[in-house]
Amino acid sequence: MRKSALLALALLFSPLVLAAEGEGAGAPLDWEHWQAGNEVSNTASLQRGARNFFNYCAGCHSLKYLRYSRMAADLKISTDQLKANLLPAGAAPADYVRASMAPEDALAWFGKEPPDLSLIARSRGPDRNYQFLKTFYLDPSRPNRSNNLLVSNPAMPAVLSDLEGVKEAVFRNVEVTVDGKVTTEKRFDHFVTVVPGQLNDAQFDDFVRDTVNFLDYAGEPSQVDRRSIGVWVVLFLLVFTWFAWLLKKEYWKDVH
Amino acid sequence: MASNDAQFKPGFWGWLNKRLPVESFFREQLLEYYAPKNFNVWYFFGSLALLALVMQLFTGIFLTMFYKVGDTTSFDSVEFIRREISYGWLIQYLHSVGASAFFVVVYLHMYRAMMYGSYKSPRELLWLFGMFIYLALMAEAFMGYVLPWGNMSYWAAQVIINLFSTIPVIGPGLVEWIRGDYGVADATLNRFFSLHVVAIPLILLLLVALHLVALRQSGSNNPDGIEIKERRGSDGKPLDGIPFHPYYTVKDVVGVGVFLLLFAVVVFFVPTFGGLFMEEANFEPANPLSTPEPIAPSWYFTPYYAILRAVPNQRLGALLLLMAVLLFFFLPWLDRSPVKSVRYRGWWYRGFLAVFTVSFLTLMYLGLKPATGAYVTAARVSAIGYFAFFLLMPLYSRWDRVKPVPERVSFHA
Amino acid sequence: MTDAGAKADDAGVDSDRRKFLTIATAATAAVGAAFAATPFVASWQLSERAKALGAPVSVDLSKLEIGQMITVVWRKQPIYIFKRSHAVVAELVRNDASLKDPKSAESDQPAYATNEQRSRRDDLAVLIATCTHLGCLPKQHFEPGDVELGADWPGGFRCPCHGSRFDMAGRVFNGSPASVNLKVPPYSFPTDSTLLIGDDESAAQGAA
Repeated sequence: MRKSALLALALLFSPLVLAAEGEGAGAPLDWEHWQAGNEVSNTASLQRGARNFFNYCAGCHSLKYLRYSRMAADLKISTDQLKANLLPAGAAPADYVRASMAPEDALAWFGKEPPDLSLIARSRGPDRNYQFLKTFYLDPSRPNRSNNLLVSNPAMPAVLSDLEGVKEAVFRNVEVTVDGKVTTEKRFDHFVTVVPGQLNDAQFDDFVRDTVNFLDYAGEPSQVDRRSIGVWVVLFLLVFTWFAWLLKKEYWKDVH
Repeated sequence: MASNDAQFKPGFWGWLNKRLPVESFFREQLLEYYAPKNFNVWYFFGSLALLALVMQLFTGIFLTMFYKVGDTTSFDSVEFIRREISYGWLIQYLHSVGASAFFVVVYLHMYRAMMYGSYKSPRELLWLFGMFIYLALMAEAFMGYVLPWGNMSYWAAQVIINLFSTIPVIGPGLVEWIRGDYGVADATLNRFFSLHVVAIPLILLLLVALHLVALRQSGSNNPDGIEIKERRGSDGKPLDGIPFHPYYTVKDVVGVGVFLLLFAVVVFFVPTFGGLFMEEANFEPANPLSTPEPIAPSWYFTPYYAILRAVPNQRLGALLLLMAVLLFFFLPWLDRSPVKSVRYRGWWYRGFLAVFTVSFLTLMYLGLKPATGAYVTAARVSAIGYFAFFLLMPLYSRWDRVKPVPERVSFHA
Repeated sequence: MTDAGAKADDAGVDSDRRKFLTIATAATAAVGAAFAATPFVASWQLSERAKALGAPVSVDLSKLEIGQMITVVWRKQPIYIFKRSHAVVAELVRNDASLKDPKSAESDQPAYATNEQRSRRDDLAVLIATCTHLGCLPKQHFEPGDVELGADWPGGFRCPCHGSRFDMAGRVFNGSPASVNLKVPPYSFPTDSTLLIGDDESAAQGAA
């Protein structure tokens, strides 16, 4: 729905929207147009995403507006499963999701407090969450030996590299004309996997999509309810408006 | 009249009406109020604006029950409303989408008045009250936008309040006085909360009441711009008028249905409207150290914002922004045409109205875009078109070759 | 229509249809209004936060002496927790004649506290300290023969607002404006020295 609204707006306002089709041979990897394609109504995907989150993200990132109990209820995770697998020691089911790491440790290790991810899917959008998680690459010049195409020089290391493998980014020099002057610019072209990971490309793609899906859910836990209630509201209003229309037509027969 | 006067009726109804003119009020305001029969679709937006106001008041009252004003609590409490109050997400969306819907309706309502010359004599005061409502609504929307204390809220407050710094001499002091601190801060948020929740709604209600009283005094204009009161039948009733009730009550209910239908689609399926009704940057808490990029005001302010940015001088930009809003107030006196409705005006007026329409919409679009290169040029061209419509009106509305206005409204059943 | 363009033209009006459509529209609107009111009414229900804060409260009993009382807050209500001696518990039955409801037939308590001592464990009383008359906090008067309450006072509570009196099991005395015994919250003993208020099914139930 969000995507269709954006599309409608883009069509409305900009005559210059061109379909980005067909990555021909030699065309650079079009990561900026990758879409997460996640479905928040897919509970199984959300459950996998939650598992991914707690295994790979919750060490550093909190979800300070989401309660474990709310998450368990929405994701159809039983209280026993929650307590056995997801709930950290000493936490109550009604607590908000906390990071295992103390913020001051994180500050010391990463130079920056890892942000809370409750609203990351709302402030950045699931597509950019997806692009971020899929465009880490090896960069020996960086203290954490990794870099990212979406967010350059991120404080966050490539935490998913054991799953995805280690990628190198291949850049290409492109001539660009700015204000009449021709300069060369380093542009990203494609990735080369140098160390394979535990998952193949399709599996890793699903892994990231599930994780992003869970973050999308965490950003607005009521969104599935919202859409299903919306259908009934719209149907009801159609009936109401139809009655009102018939009534209006009936009365306006008087007016000549 | 006395024979069927409600106060002589038996029972409670008579008792009540002897003490409070319930029946006569409704009879005079609805049954005996004759409205032109040729209203078209543009005439829905008055009643819809009233509906939008009531909805905003109602949802606002409920949000105030759960919202906690303060620079450390506001952001969290809005998230709390969305997540932990039963249907809090719905109430919050109704209010935030409602704000945009209110402006959609009000802009169409104003445009209707411009097309059909509804601001012209004898409805100048009606128009002025409407314009004051528009001003109050802008203040209300701006301050309401600050309350969630997201990063856009913070920077919107920062930018808009800084506009006052362009006022000579008192500017800097005034800005500090408005903020109540050295920067936009808790004090600012707290006073905006009070104004948004108490003061401006009261002013709005008063202005709406005056607007309606003035409307009843002069009667509605219509797409033909013909005064229906001037052609009365043998029974003294306007020939081209029909009782407001039941004809326009049932018609307005249809308008309400269609409006609510569109409104519900947005609220339930695209509540952020792709970032237009609720910006992504506002899902991050206020951060005085990081300006969101791109920064743009809510869509209903973007025409003025685009004018502000098109001017390469701070004071002149602010002045033109102010003028762009205030020029609406002067329309009744800028317009020298003998006819009201665009239907009977000539090509001069029609041309300038088209220029205004295109300019306004272009500016609205440009205000959402970065202020660079071709966008700035386009904004300057559009701003010239916008101001030309108002400032040249005394001339072209006089030169205009108007068509003869018929005696009776055009109406096809 | 020359003169009557503005007027209702009575000929050809299907008034049955008008009536039906008016009722149909109005009824739909009424249903819609009821639906529209639902979220606003529902928004006043306990929030997730209120429910989370209303979670069971754990109390450490290891330092509680006989004759001593502590007050904790559970679900925004003050809870009196006090330890009674065997003698005090044994004496309780002697109050029965002067009580309004000695068997706690009318009052609100869990089944395991519907007994003479109104408690799960003889020695420990757990009571919601809200006077059943009008909600004030009853004051502790444990000493028998209290100066204020007279020589025959067996020990208990007296409400400062309207003078309702309760015994050491929270049962209301005759002559009090209150007519119901103090409420007992659900509770259990996860271990011998821990009390969990708000949950009556935690593991070990202590020595009964």
